[in-house]
Amino acid sequence: MSLLIDSVSKRFGDVQALDAISLQIEPGEVFGFLGANGAGKTTAMRIVLDILRPDSGTITWNGTLNTELPRETWGYLPEERGLYAKMTVLEQLVFFAKLHGVKPRAAERETREWLERFRIPEYADRRAEQLSKGNQQKIQFIAAILHDPLVLLMDEPFTGLDPVNAALLKEAFQEMKDRGKTLVFSTHQMETVEELCESIAILDRGRVVVGGSVRDVRRSTGRQMVRVAVQGDPEIAWLGTLDGVHVTRRGQDYVEAEVAPGHDPGSVLRAALSRGCEIRHFEMADPSLEQIFIERVGQIDMSERTLAPKAAHA
Amino acid sequence: MKGWRTLFPNAWYVAVREYRSRCRSRSFVIGTILLAAISFAATQIPVLIDISVSTSETRVAVVVQASDMPSDSLALFDATLNGQSTDPNAHKDFAISWLPGGDATAAQTDLERGKYDVLLIVDRDAASDLRFTLRTDSPRDGRPVQTITNALVSLEIEDRLSRSGTSTAALRAPFSLTVASVTGTSEQTNNLSSEISTGLLSTGLIVLIFMAIVTYGVWVAMSVAEEKGSRVMELMLNATTPLQMLTGKMLGNGGAGMTQYGLILVAVIVGLVAQGPIHKAVLGSDAGTQFGGLSPAVLAAFVVLFVLGFTLYSLLYAALGSLVSRQEDVQSATSPLMVLIMLGYFMSVFGLQAIDETWVKVASFVPFFSPYLMLARVSAGHVEPWEFGLAVLLLLAAIVVALFVAARIYSAGVLLYGQRVSLAQVLRAARVSR
Repeated sequence: MSLLIDSVSKRFGDVQALDAISLQIEPGEVFGFLGANGAGKTTAMRIVLDILRPDSGTITWNGTLNTELPRETWGYLPEERGLYAKMTVLEQLVFFAKLHGVKPRAAERETREWLERFRIPEYADRRAEQLSKGNQQKIQFIAAILHDPLVLLMDEPFTGLDPVNAALLKEAFQEMKDRGKTLVFSTHQMETVEELCESIAILDRGRVVVGGSVRDVRRSTGRQMVRVAVQGDPEIAWLGTLDGVHVTRRGQDYVEAEVAPGHDPGSVLRAALSRGCEIRHFEMADPSLEQIFIERVGQIDMSERTLAPKAAHA
Repeated sequence: MKGWRTLFPNAWYVAVREYRSRCRSRSFVIGTILLAAISFAATQIPVLIDISVSTSETRVAVVVQASDMPSDSLALFDATLNGQSTDPNAHKDFAISWLPGGDATAAQTDLERGKYDVLLIVDRDAASDLRFTLRTDSPRDGRPVQTITNALVSLEIEDRLSRSGTSTAALRAPFSLTVASVTGTSEQTNNLSSEISTGLLSTGLIVLIFMAIVTYGVWVAMSVAEEKGSRVMELMLNATTPLQMLTGKMLGNGGAGMTQYGLILVAVIVGLVAQGPIHKAVLGSDAGTQFGGLSPAVLAAFVVLFVLGFTLYSLLYAALGSLVSRQEDVQSATSPLMVLIMLGYFMSVFGLQAIDETWVKVASFVPFFSPYLMLARVSAGHVEPWEFGLAVLLLLAAIVVALFVAARIYSAGVLLYGQRVSLAQVLRAARVSR
């Protein structure tokens, strides 16, 4: 009972877009695809949707191959947004719903209901070209869910949304999750992932660098982060001298340090107490997804992701 | 390909959407109105020609100063100039003002003022023969002057005979005239006018097919490129299969094209039917319209070849349209197809002149050319039923092959974005796409 991506590979010419990726996405969970541009997120989604065929590997949903599944299993919000410019919102939403097998009358009722939910019922008879980008995106989201799909695949759904609309979309996500849908989306916004996702996979150049529940991924390094603030000593110079502790950041209010795998973060607290410090703040945490992302993706090859050095002028 | 089982209703929904959005577009509405108006006007050209002919009559003033003119001279003159028509409303090339004992000087003034085109003065010379004096600015070897000169010969002869005592009634008695072919059979075997009308008909029907493929095939390509350009394609790809989309686009755009064609045809038929009444209203006489050589069999062959030909070509248009992401690039992407279409068209134009040549016969079975050449052969009436059947079967087979090829190119092409997609790239992508 899950969406299983089993060693899927895909090559476009000289580019290995996907290199034997395997993932398991549980039904009813919110799953995040993370990766830089060109990591293979969109290709992976298209292959799951059977828009593209993989060179090797299989996709199954609850044991059925994706090539055998009815198309209405999936709801898809593509990264490249597009609607029929000259058609009205209602017309095209009903059109898409009908293509997915929804009866015409039910399609119109559902459409009006969702427009109501998104607080844009007055847009039903407007042409798509008359809508703002944010509102077009809402229409596209409705197009993806109108036929009540079991699995929703969304490519960068939050890109280009203002905070208000992003909050609206997050609420809709929650509702789909409450209805028992499986949600898969790609993004490069780490905060959104930490806020919404139960599981993630970080992709880099067609490979899954790390995957699993957000908790497991954050713990995957074995390192822990500690944040300490001591009264009267903003620098806490002794912190870096402790065994297995490495200061990563000195903030205004606290000092952040990494505790290497196999070392007890509690030793930092004990060291502080033994030095007689007056502790104002002590926090233990797993590394953030952003740290892990930069670390995991960065350690493979950073050269293409940073600006090349400025050419020296004589 | 699992698409076969589930072609409908999605292909139908796509077709309806394509049809509606095409028919609602401004270019469609304006284009249809304009073309219908032009077609209607074109059907009135024969009427216009008749009108211009009817207004160009030659006005002849005849001042008769000669005495003892035969009593029916005017009737003879009129009949020779205008022909012997019993219809009082029939158009006359010459308007005759017969002025017995008239004043030559006054008539001369009227001539100079433009009241007449020709002034004819008739008197007798010393030998009592009729003497004619013709004043006109129309060319001496022009048709009006020639005709009048011929009429004068008749008048002169009749006058001389009448003076010699021969009864003019005997002169007017009808005589026998037979026109036969060289070999002596009474009917000529080659009916020139029907030959010409058959040729015109085949050319007309071939042009109809050619225009439909060129115009409406491009619509299919345009609509594919448009969807790709606006990126709706990505939504569509999840909602439908390439085969459903291809079929729907073909049906929708083809249907819109047929609607436009139908409306233009209605304008033409209305124009042809109206020819008579308009002719009557303007000119006071009726004119018949002829549809020569359009038999039900030719019409049926036309419809079959039209539909199949359009289907085959629009599949290829859809495939080529999927290779570009902007509508502006459609023209250049579809130019190879244009060459193929033009080739078939010109082959049929030359083929009509040599309908029984072997190369015409062979080419009339080749799927891309058969819509033109088989039609040409059918309308010329030089074709066996099995030949037509074979051409249709081959065309159908080509459509099935084209459907698979086009669906592959299409499903690969629609996901390729970029300025220039090479065919090799597409074929490579097509190999692995669904």
